[in-house]
Amino acid sequence: MSALVIGLGSPDRGDDGVGPVVAAEVGALRLADVRVLTHEDPTCLVELWAGADRVVVVDAVRSGAAPGTVHELDATAGVLADRAWARTGRGGTHAFGVAAAVELARALRRLPSRLVLVGVEGASFEPGAALSPAVVRAVRPAACAVARVLAPAEEASGVPR
Amino acid sequence: MTHKLSDGGQVLQVGTLARVEGEGGMHVAIRDGRVTDVQLRIYEPPRFYEGFLRGRAWTEPPDITARICGICPVAYQFSSCLAIEDACGVAVTDAIRTMRRLLYCGEWIESHALHVFLLHAPDFLGYDGAIEMAADHPQVVERGLRIKKVGNDLMTVVGGRSVHPVNVRVGGFYRMPTVVELRALRPALARALEDAVATVRLVSTFAFPEWDQPWTYLALRPEAGYPIEGGDVVTSAGAAWPVRAFTEHITEVHVAHSNALHARLDGQDSPYVVGPLARYTLNHDRLSPLAQDLAREAGLATTCRNPFRSIIVRAVELVYAIEEALRIVDGWADGAAPSVPVPARAGEGFGATEAPRGVLFHRYVLDDAGIITDAQIVPPTSQNQPSIEADLRVMAERWVDLSDHDLGHRCEHAIRNYDPCISCATHFLDLTVERS
Repeated sequence: MSALVIGLGSPDRGDDGVGPVVAAEVGALRLADVRVLTHEDPTCLVELWAGADRVVVVDAVRSGAAPGTVHELDATAGVLADRAWARTGRGGTHAFGVAAAVELARALRRLPSRLVLVGVEGASFEPGAALSPAVVRAVRPAACAVARVLAPAEEASGVPR
Repeated sequence: MTHKLSDGGQVLQVGTLARVEGEGGMHVAIRDGRVTDVQLRIYEPPRFYEGFLRGRAWTEPPDITARICGICPVAYQFSSCLAIEDACGVAVTDAIRTMRRLLYCGEWIESHALHVFLLHAPDFLGYDGAIEMAADHPQVVERGLRIKKVGNDLMTVVGGRSVHPVNVRVGGFYRMPTVVELRALRPALARALEDAVATVRLVSTFAFPEWDQPWTYLALRPEAGYPIEGGDVVTSAGAAWPVRAFTEHITEVHVAHSNALHARLDGQDSPYVVGPLARYTLNHDRLSPLAQDLAREAGLATTCRNPFRSIIVRAVELVYAIEEALRIVDGWADGAAPSVPVPARAGEGFGATEAPRGVLFHRYVLDDAGIITDAQIVPPTSQNQPSIEADLRVMAERWVDLSDHDLGHRCEHAIRNYDPCISCATHFLDLTVERS
């Protein structure tokens, strides 16, 4: 079983950069048999997770929740809503966001057997801005959420919260 | 949605356009079966790039302006490099020009594959989007993803990463890719060429509304080859001028309903068009023999003025870009200097390249320390806004008897013919930014 964490987002668009930051945090946990990579383009997801069985995609979310809220969604459990998980509220590059990439992969039968999306509610997506304080505080909890998803069931209770 | 007005008129309002980059809407007013008003409403907030480039160093525009767009960052990088090098009186080497063309091919491949397969094809095949289309035509979508991946890989090898490349600098590159790295791309490029040829044949079977747009076409035309990373400006009216005369001919005006400036050619009220149709029509003779043959086989003449057939032209350009990438990869030799020095000096510089959706112009004014005192960026979608609206006037009137749903869908299709990049178009005009 191969596991993969993909941190999605642009490091230069304020809180949109939280995906790669959380991915780096997960990488620092040195989880066994877990690959970690970052990318900016959701249309590449279907290629990136080819060959992986368990995948977690970490991305910024704008849903109206409080900034820093960590969302978790099992994409293999059901179809995603049309506008769900639209990066920076605009749906990513050329209106093709995470939800579209996931549903396209589902239609092509190229979803991993388990795919979980971990989102961090962003506050600001200004070019050049740093992560906002609430989002910085959410990095560790989000990384722990990723670790819990990937931990074998019998070890999950040992993952720090 | 459509509203019936109490006076018998009708308003078609599409609040948010789907499958275009950025946030925009469309407003079409119809009265007595006649279209009385059409507005492409770009409400994505202005982004003030031209403002915050002022005060920055001459070396910074490639990295700053790349951020304007996630799908055509190379266009921004190279138009800005050309303008800065022009201001500083520097010409790069042939090797650097060639490597720029290769990276730009990667961007064309990525962008055109995305638009042809995931954004535009669903319009022709009768689907709401690529996901619905993928359920019935998985092999078509898979082909598109395969082609797009080659573009991504090319961008990664030459540009350092597939989105917002980091290897581009004023004067050239930080590092040249090696022959070994480039040759590794060859098998995937060869496969992509076969896929692109099949793509031209596929899209040529689509049904196209008959209409030739009468607008003026404007594209670059280099000394040799099809226009990608540079050239002089030519138009279908027979005009030809160097890029440094751009602002003498093209003026930008603000209209109330759009956050993106509209562009005018030589003060004319009638629109002009940039992008694949203009490039093709003004440079058909510069395509490769294979691309020309495929275009002919697909039913295109040496000019193409039907905006719906732009999907064929994009597919032909995909073939050409992949052939160009193969040609450059095969001919590359290690040892070329990655960059030339670009010492700062006071001056004004102009640069234009062919972004996937049309001519992208940059102008910078530098002081003698190389600090930018003025910046101007004219993206392709700004230039195409008036023609998009003009097309919609014609098309909406032709389709006025359709149901609300079908009329809205057709109008969106007519807009997507341009692959508009609203995010690129909204970095707005004269705003004063004071830096302390």
